[in-house]
Amino acid sequence: MRRLAALAIAVAMIAAACGGSAPGGTGTGTGTGDQSALAPGKDVKPAAKITWWHAMGGVNGEALNKIVNQFNASQSAIKVETVFQGGYDDLLSKLNTALASNAAPALVQVYDIGQRYMYDSGQVVPMQAFIDRDKFSTADFEPAVINYYKYQDKLQSMPWNASSSIFYYNKDAFGEVGLDPVKPPVTFTEITEAAKKLTKKDANGQTVRYGFGPSIYGWFFEQLLATSGSLYADNGNGRDDRATKVVYNNAAGKAILDWWKAGIDGGYFYNPGIDNAGATTAFQSGKTAMYLESSAALRGNINTAKFQVGTGLFARPDSRPKDGGNIIGGASLYIMKSRPVEEQQAAWEFVKYAMTPAVQAQWQSDTGYYAIVKAAYSEAPAKEWATKYPQFQTPVDQIRNSPQNRMTNGAVLGVFAQARARTQKMIESVLLGQATSQQALDAAAAEVNDAIDKYNKANK
Amino acid sequence: MTAVVQGQARRPLSLRKLGSYILLVVVSIVVAFPLLLALAYSFMSESEIATFPPPVLPMHPSFDNYGKVVGTIPIVRYLLNSLIVSTAVVIGQLITASLAAYAFSFLVFRGRQLLFFVFLSTLMIPWEATIIPNYMTVRSLGWLDTYQGLAVPFLATAFGTFLLRQAFLQIPRELWDAARIDGSTTFRFLREVVIPLARPALGTVAIYGFLSTYNQYFWPLLITNETLMRTTQVGIAQLRFEESTRWGLVMAGVIMVAVPTLALLVLGQRQLIRGLTAGAVKG
Amino acid sequence: MRWTARDLRSLAVGLAYLAPALAIFVVFVFVPLGRTFYLSLYNTRSTGLITTFNGLDHYIDLITSQTFRSGLVATGLFALYTVPIGIALGLVLAVLLNQRLRGISVFRTMMASTIAISAAVGSVIWLLLFNPSLGLLNYVLSLVGIRGPEWLIQPAIAVIAVSITTIWLTLGTNIIVLLAGLQGIPEEIYEAARLDGARGARMFTRITVPLVSPSLFFLLVVDTVAVLQAFTQIHLLTRGGPVDATRTLVYSIYLDAFQNFQFGFASAESVVLFVLVLGLTIIQFRFVERLVHYQ
Repeated sequence: MRRLAALAIAVAMIAAACGGSAPGGTGTGTGTGDQSALAPGKDVKPAAKITWWHAMGGVNGEALNKIVNQFNASQSAIKVETVFQGGYDDLLSKLNTALASNAAPALVQVYDIGQRYMYDSGQVVPMQAFIDRDKFSTADFEPAVINYYKYQDKLQSMPWNASSSIFYYNKDAFGEVGLDPVKPPVTFTEITEAAKKLTKKDANGQTVRYGFGPSIYGWFFEQLLATSGSLYADNGNGRDDRATKVVYNNAAGKAILDWWKAGIDGGYFYNPGIDNAGATTAFQSGKTAMYLESSAALRGNINTAKFQVGTGLFARPDSRPKDGGNIIGGASLYIMKSRPVEEQQAAWEFVKYAMTPAVQAQWQSDTGYYAIVKAAYSEAPAKEWATKYPQFQTPVDQIRNSPQNRMTNGAVLGVFAQARARTQKMIESVLLGQATSQQALDAAAAEVNDAIDKYNKANK
Repeated sequence: MTAVVQGQARRPLSLRKLGSYILLVVVSIVVAFPLLLALAYSFMSESEIATFPPPVLPMHPSFDNYGKVVGTIPIVRYLLNSLIVSTAVVIGQLITASLAAYAFSFLVFRGRQLLFFVFLSTLMIPWEATIIPNYMTVRSLGWLDTYQGLAVPFLATAFGTFLLRQAFLQIPRELWDAARIDGSTTFRFLREVVIPLARPALGTVAIYGFLSTYNQYFWPLLITNETLMRTTQVGIAQLRFEESTRWGLVMAGVIMVAVPTLALLVLGQRQLIRGLTAGAVKG
Repeated sequence: MRWTARDLRSLAVGLAYLAPALAIFVVFVFVPLGRTFYLSLYNTRSTGLITTFNGLDHYIDLITSQTFRSGLVATGLFALYTVPIGIALGLVLAVLLNQRLRGISVFRTMMASTIAISAAVGSVIWLLLFNPSLGLLNYVLSLVGIRGPEWLIQPAIAVIAVSITTIWLTLGTNIIVLLAGLQGIPEEIYEAARLDGARGARMFTRITVPLVSPSLFFLLVVDTVAVLQAFTQIHLLTRGGPVDATRTLVYSIYLDAFQNFQFGFASAESVVLFVLVLGLTIIQFRFVERLVHYQ
């Protein structure tokens, strides 16, 4: 009898040890079960003060601080302190240095493409852990947004500011040259034709207005690939398994670069370089009549431009691939593991507050990012916003109408920052005539694949 | 020489002199143009700036942008931080560089040449080569977000040591010999003879030290996470990022940050020239 | 040669005076340099943690990479455009400012004002000037009939743009140093030369330049080192582009360490840059200093 009991205990122990998602696991979240165990216990008292590193400057920063002040004022248990750390790149740089010496804050805002990096750092408490523990419902969240930030079905972070890349155009200029101001061009050829009509030269042959002037931004290339129905990386865009290489040196990539180059060569596309703000200034001052930018720039454009600003769907190939669509942009919030559990708890409390419909509606109307919680759209500020800026419906509809698949969910890549910079160099080299589209694509892919290789080896 | 000077003062404004003045005015404006432009734009509104052709002088100058800068970033605090750190570094550098330069000029010991070259070699080490380990050091000392962290790594200066060494070498050897005969200690000689005679050079080191510390960007960016511990350059770069299309605002910030150093230059210009004459450049 | 007790004693005294500066240098320069060299021999994770020994592979990868070669070109062009022109311009302006005119110090202050402007501040101002949409620089040029280039968009021009910004930033230093050097030339020498029949350009090349050559050499060394280590201007104006045209070795180190998180590799780049700067300075001291005329 005793021997049987001992055997039973031994078997049970071995079974427990070999069990899939052991409590407290490896923190990499590959288990299929509930992740509540990774979060602090429900009864842990939240810390009195936590720090939030973010990358929202200017108007958006003010809106963010407004929300934080409201949170701090609404209760006396937790005080959130915000620190602006510069742009997304600078913030990630700082975070990386901080992580190496355990100086990270409790809550961080990291941009969309920083997903894999955050995941591999092993320093994140998956948001799914809190969601499972408190049975927090994300049913009302925009599917496109949730799908972007889920890795193997688990939310690592909480989406916070969601944007969409859209097409901006000068309605007055459209009317001037006989284009229909209510029907903006959508396909490559349509844009090219419109740009030809909109380009204006003066008596000396100098161009005073270009038709189309998008900045050289890696994000746009990623979007164009997605609307072309192409993947960015292999292994389901890095979502089914670790990506081992990029695949954009394909026909879709070539078509995009060929189209862009033809426009520059023809003199009706304008090249503002990598300066996104410069592209916006060019549009606002009438130097270009159409361009691509984030929906987050909408309010600024409407307020500053002296003409009617129109918004349209993001550019796509003439064939309008059915599985093509837009990837969301923006950033999400991560709770860091290196802080005490009390601070993690406090961070979660704030995150919950930030995702309430009222706060989401306020955030949307103060910035130009759109609300992630659908219920927010029926709140008063959101309704006012929709009436005042009807153009805003474009990005929202665009995201809602995009098919949900691996292409439109976006790629997950550990070396994304480097990859994005490399695609910018690639586009530059083509537009400046230093390489053909295929040459540039292949060269970029080779370099990025090498980096992916090194990254994967180092982060096994 | 005096006769020549007096003679020139009495002569009426010759054509040659007028030509010189005109040339000076034109060239000065060209060189100072970017700064003058920043000043002009700081008084303009955003819509005035975003017109074509681009404006040069403000039509309705106002201090609005300056007010906005103060409201957007804690610039007064940044200025204070920069001031404190720069002053601390200057004091430190004067002390360490004087002592070291003294050793390299008046003291004789084996290995002096080698050690001098070791000092000089620090000028050639790119800051990237040391910045990560320095961050680790500062962090483990608990000096992140502190004035010590911002100042201590810079308390020694090879450039300043070099400059002072050249200046000390200009001091007549006879004074040293006389002091030896009088039985003066090495340290007394430094304090009572060398330092007073090398004041111009010391002034130059002080000004240079202040300017270079005040103008630092990357190190303060790296070790300050708290907003209130930031310095002016980090603040300006952030302003540029935040308000990427509000140029009037950015220019106002730029002017506010540049004013202290410009003031220092105006006050210390003569000092700088005298200091450099007394020291390094004569070889 | 053997060390006597006296040698040791005098060394001890010397070291006592050198101690404060040396301590700072050891802790914040030499030890970190050693650690960087150590790090360059290893592979690292994104956070900088060492993983496996890599030997000299980073160095080999670096030297054979296209980016390194274009980085050398970018750095070389940048230095070539900036240093000689900056010093020459400084000399011309210093001569102009070396006159005994009333109110000359006002002009001196105006021209030397760039010394008080930080790289960050200067770069932001020049960014406005180079801006294609607000296009002030090109507008001014068009007023005199010149069609300005796309400053930060065309690779070859972008290097010139960064160069112009750097020349402007270092102009103040150059002017002040050269002015100091010029003022060190005794009037008697000019008088004597004038009696010998020297005028204008000949006076300049035969008398002024040789006598101010210590300052010229000083600026050559100092400006070269500064240019080879310039970061802020590139970061704020071009980010190393377009197509890596302004991606100097220094900027590559920044990108590899703080964008790509490749600390082992970036450390190797730092060491290589250090060796290059050191080598260049030694060459300057051994071969160029011979041309300097010391009084």
